[in-house]
Amino acid sequence: MARILVADDSETILLLLRTRLEIEGHEVETAADGQEVVEKVSAAAPPDVLLLDAMMPRKSGIDALRELRAAGIDTPALIVSAHTDGGNDEDHADLAISAYITKPIDFDQLFKKIAELTR
Amino acid sequence: MTIGFAIAFAVLTGLAVIGVARFLQQRQDYENATARSYQREIVARNRLAEERHPAAARDTIVSQQHRRQALRDEISSETRDTALLVGAGLIAGLTGAALLFTGLISSMRRPLEDLVEASGQLAGGDLDARVKVGGLSETATLGGAFNEMAEELQRRAGERDQLDRMKDEFVLTASHELRSPLTSVQGFAELLLLEREKLGPKQAETVEVILDNTRHLVRLLNDLLDLARSDAGRLTIRPEPTDAASLIEDAVRTMRAQIDARGQELRLEIEADLPRIEADRDRIRQVLVNLLTNANEYCPEGAGIEVKARRANAEVEIDVIDDGPGIPEQQLEHIFERFTRGDAGETQRVGGTGLGLAISKSLIELHGGTIEADSAPGRGSTFRVRLPADPVPERARAGAEAS
Repeated sequence: MARILVADDSETILLLLRTRLEIEGHEVETAADGQEVVEKVSAAAPPDVLLLDAMMPRKSGIDALRELRAAGIDTPALIVSAHTDGGNDEDHADLAISAYITKPIDFDQLFKKIAELTR
Repeated sequence: MTIGFAIAFAVLTGLAVIGVARFLQQRQDYENATARSYQREIVARNRLAEERHPAAARDTIVSQQHRRQALRDEISSETRDTALLVGAGLIAGLTGAALLFTGLISSMRRPLEDLVEASGQLAGGDLDARVKVGGLSETATLGGAFNEMAEELQRRAGERDQLDRMKDEFVLTASHELRSPLTSVQGFAELLLLEREKLGPKQAETVEVILDNTRHLVRLLNDLLDLARSDAGRLTIRPEPTDAASLIEDAVRTMRAQIDARGQELRLEIEADLPRIEADRDRIRQVLVNLLTNANEYCPEGAGIEVKARRANAEVEIDVIDDGPGIPEQQLEHIFERFTRGDAGETQRVGGTGLGLAISKSLIELHGGTIEADSAPGRGSTFRVRLPADPVPERARAGAEAS
């Protein structure tokens, strides 16, 4: 279905996301932090969707996305956050974030969003 | 100033006393001198009668009569002076006393008035309120004590504010940190249930218990987070013109299955042409779902629940009414305070957090509305939410009536 790059600093969450997304038929690649995200995403063959945790050590999902956008990569991005108030709209206006996903993750909603973005 | 008056008063009183004493002495002297003069005249008159030196005797009689006249003149002038002196002393004394009294009162009154005013400010929450220490030593002591008290209050309030901030910060951090492990627990339990057919029925049930409790934990966490935000003044809403009728229907739809599951009858009565409201849709929905959840959980099976909405002047009134057991008065008073819940017996079954109504109140107030409860044991309960109607008039819409 879609190629998705998932980034989270928790191995458990990565395993959960990978398993659920693969059951849905997606192809999943993982990254443990924002730095890995930047290294793994190439402009030549970007994934269909980015699913990034907002807060990660070394480089946050937000910072990684900022670098990718600066490099001209416009892959749709979903930001996973433990904050329930949806992040800071003004700060992130230039990052073209498709949606914020709140923890604990509502998978039905997540699948719906991914379907919308890859339609 | 007061001491000056006291001294003047004492001096004047002293002078008056001396004046009166001197007058009494002079009066005594006058009576003695007059008596002696009469004696001399009598002696002279006897001599005249006996015709011994009659010329000298007549002289004596005349001179004694003149002397007594002189004495009388002198004493009457003394009497007048003394009366004047005493009168003046009396007036001065009374005036002094009056001034002293006024002085005393005003030297007490101003500090007391200051105290009254400062106490009012303090009671009103202005912890900067202080009085000027002065006046009589008693009022000065009182003022000093008041200032010390205000100082102490302010210090403690500062400590409390700091503790509050730490508490809010802690709740925000804890809620944030707990979310990742909860995501895993919930996510993997859901994963297990995806392969329900591979689990035995007992195991599937076990996993469902884990899921139920995880969801409850998440709800509790969200409620705590809302309360901490509310306390910190960081609970925010994103209001936009919203169709009240569809919002109410939406909330009712969410709760329909749970209400049906308990065999309760839900009636919906929404007035036609209900105006739009300026509302954060998710948040108002949260409030209505909370009220319906309470009705659902606190009412017995088969109870009746009613949702009514109407326009009332510039407001939209939404009532959630049930014919359940009702709420005792002493509980009703505290119903919107946090961790207030129904009877312990009831809460065994009821899954709430005891925070829902406290959060609902904060949310409704953020919308500029009000929420109130009316209930009595055996008479059911009515929760009424009032929200300001959108001032921008809207074309009449087809009224939504559902059952």
